[in-house]
Amino acid sequence: MEMIASILSSVLATGPFLAMIGSSILGVFIGALPGLNPVMAIALLLPLTYSMDPLVALAMVAGIYNGSMYGGAIPAILLRIPGTPAAIATTFDGYPMAQKGEAARALKIACWSSAIGGTASAIALITVGPLLARATLAFGPAEYFWIAVFGMASVGVLVGSDAVKGLMAAVFGLLLGTVGLDQLSGVPRYTFDQTWLLSGLDLIVILVGLYALPPVLSLAEKADLSGLSASDLKLDNVRVPWSEVKSLIPTWIRSSLIGISVGILPGAGGNVAAFLSYNATKNASDDPKSFGEGNPRGVAAAECGNNADNAASMIPALALGIPGNVVAALVLGALLIHGLQPGPQLFHQNPQLVGGFMVEMLLTSLIILIVGGAAATRVFAQVQRLPGVLLVPTVLVLMAVGVYVINGRVIDLWIMFAAGACGYFLEKMEVPLAPIVLGLILGPMAEQNIRRALLISRGDFSDLVTRPISATIAIATLGLIVWPIGSALFRRRKAAREMLDGDGQD
Amino acid sequence: MTEQRQDILLGTVFAVIGAAAAFKAATYPGASGGYPMVLGLVLAGLGGLVSLKAFKEKRLDARPLTEHMPRMLLTLVCGALYLALVPVLGFYTTSALVVIALPLVLGFRQPVYLGVVTVVFIGIVWSVFSLLLEKPLPAEIWMRF
Repeated sequence: MEMIASILSSVLATGPFLAMIGSSILGVFIGALPGLNPVMAIALLLPLTYSMDPLVALAMVAGIYNGSMYGGAIPAILLRIPGTPAAIATTFDGYPMAQKGEAARALKIACWSSAIGGTASAIALITVGPLLARATLAFGPAEYFWIAVFGMASVGVLVGSDAVKGLMAAVFGLLLGTVGLDQLSGVPRYTFDQTWLLSGLDLIVILVGLYALPPVLSLAEKADLSGLSASDLKLDNVRVPWSEVKSLIPTWIRSSLIGISVGILPGAGGNVAAFLSYNATKNASDDPKSFGEGNPRGVAAAECGNNADNAASMIPALALGIPGNVVAALVLGALLIHGLQPGPQLFHQNPQLVGGFMVEMLLTSLIILIVGGAAATRVFAQVQRLPGVLLVPTVLVLMAVGVYVINGRVIDLWIMFAAGACGYFLEKMEVPLAPIVLGLILGPMAEQNIRRALLISRGDFSDLVTRPISATIAIATLGLIVWPIGSALFRRRKAAREMLDGDGQD
Repeated sequence: MTEQRQDILLGTVFAVIGAAAAFKAATYPGASGGYPMVLGLVLAGLGGLVSLKAFKEKRLDARPLTEHMPRMLLTLVCGALYLALVPVLGFYTTSALVVIALPLVLGFRQPVYLGVVTVVFIGIVWSVFSLLLEKPLPAEIWMRF
């Protein structure tokens, strides 16, 4: 009880409180601008948080995350352009509603659904996170090693369309994580006699490059020169009757549960949660044909589902050190900036900070209700009048200043630029970027723990798989890697057999 | 370039990086080299697998690497020039130049609008980073005399 009071008082102090409000508003603006996304915004924010109080920094991350997930619904409803990938499903019914002159009603339902999904997700984080962390008290170096490997394998296999490319990206990230002085022996690795490489590749520099430059290049390619006219963005204020609110409650409950479940699974993101929620609501409806033609429940399901993924994705990140999605990986990066090692020990060593962040996720979900009102949404929608080409140099400058202030080195700017250019082409070739980032974050944890485990077992590798928990996680990891390969082989054989049968019949 | 060729090239590049990393790791003493060597070998193997898979699957559809190659290259060149000029001209001078030049290069033709955006944006960046956070940034060329 004392701890809860202490957490609440620290979160409601002036700094974190103002940061939550300001960043939630900023988040809605970012989400409302097609081309910008929460990952990019948080990546740009991280360098600024070095000198901040960790709770203020995490409040800004929470606000931008929750705010932008709602903000993505604004262009999705008004223009059928999803502001974020997670808002794709919102366009299905949001845009038809706007065409019928019900844009304000759709935006209001999106706002409420986002807030409800986000709140449910934060409650799941607050209740499940500590329980999971308590279960990890029995873990030793071997278990930590397997957790890191499991996290990377799951993200490598589940993110993207090709499991082998995902795993390749994860191993590449792990390899990048070995650059610099070996933390256990002090031997320099892959430094090529460059002193600036001794401390390794800076995670934030790579993150900003990988996640901010590719969208900038895409914006430049589109070269939007005019933005939207004011007449496209007119919104009337409407009231949503209580009977309609009541009819949305089952959709909110179902979508929240789906979003939370998807969030806990590493690898799946808000877009998956939104699609699953939308389909589940459509299947449960008495009138499935009305979906896609402006059914408010379609908007509610998509928005509630994608926001319910937000805080839930932090559960494996905070309790196990395995990020559920890229934003969770960025949160782990923010923790590293402040000298906090993500993973099972985090809850035990820094309960105030972890608890504070969970409460911030909850409060920023509720702030959406206030900042997402009709009047505010009318203001947010105006950002779409800004021509896209003006965002290209401004984001580039923000990237440069953010990266430069980390170490005050020009070389970091070039590393960021190179990482971004590589990230752009890797994405085009369907190589997911999240496993690279995860490899960079979890690589040191995996290496230190496997070496510690081997020191304890005096070099006996069997100790890594003979303890019950480590053996379970190892088998799960193996299953995760073998399953997609096995199912692909099975599908191919089945297809070949069907083709042969077909030829025989002919 | 077809998907198949792209993936063969991609796999080969990663296989070479992995093999080179493993080769280099062999020179590190004791346990320092073991871990990166294993990673290098696994990366080489996965890279090889990507190439082999692409070779067998024969996906001959074109997969464009850019939406608009000239604009993408122009942005990359302007970005590289910007980074090269930051230590020479100073942060704010170079940033103001890129905020004006890049939209012009991409076809934006509203000078007043562009001027206002540049002044407001650079003003915000200066207020946050130099005034509020007091972060040292590369000095402006006109302040060095």
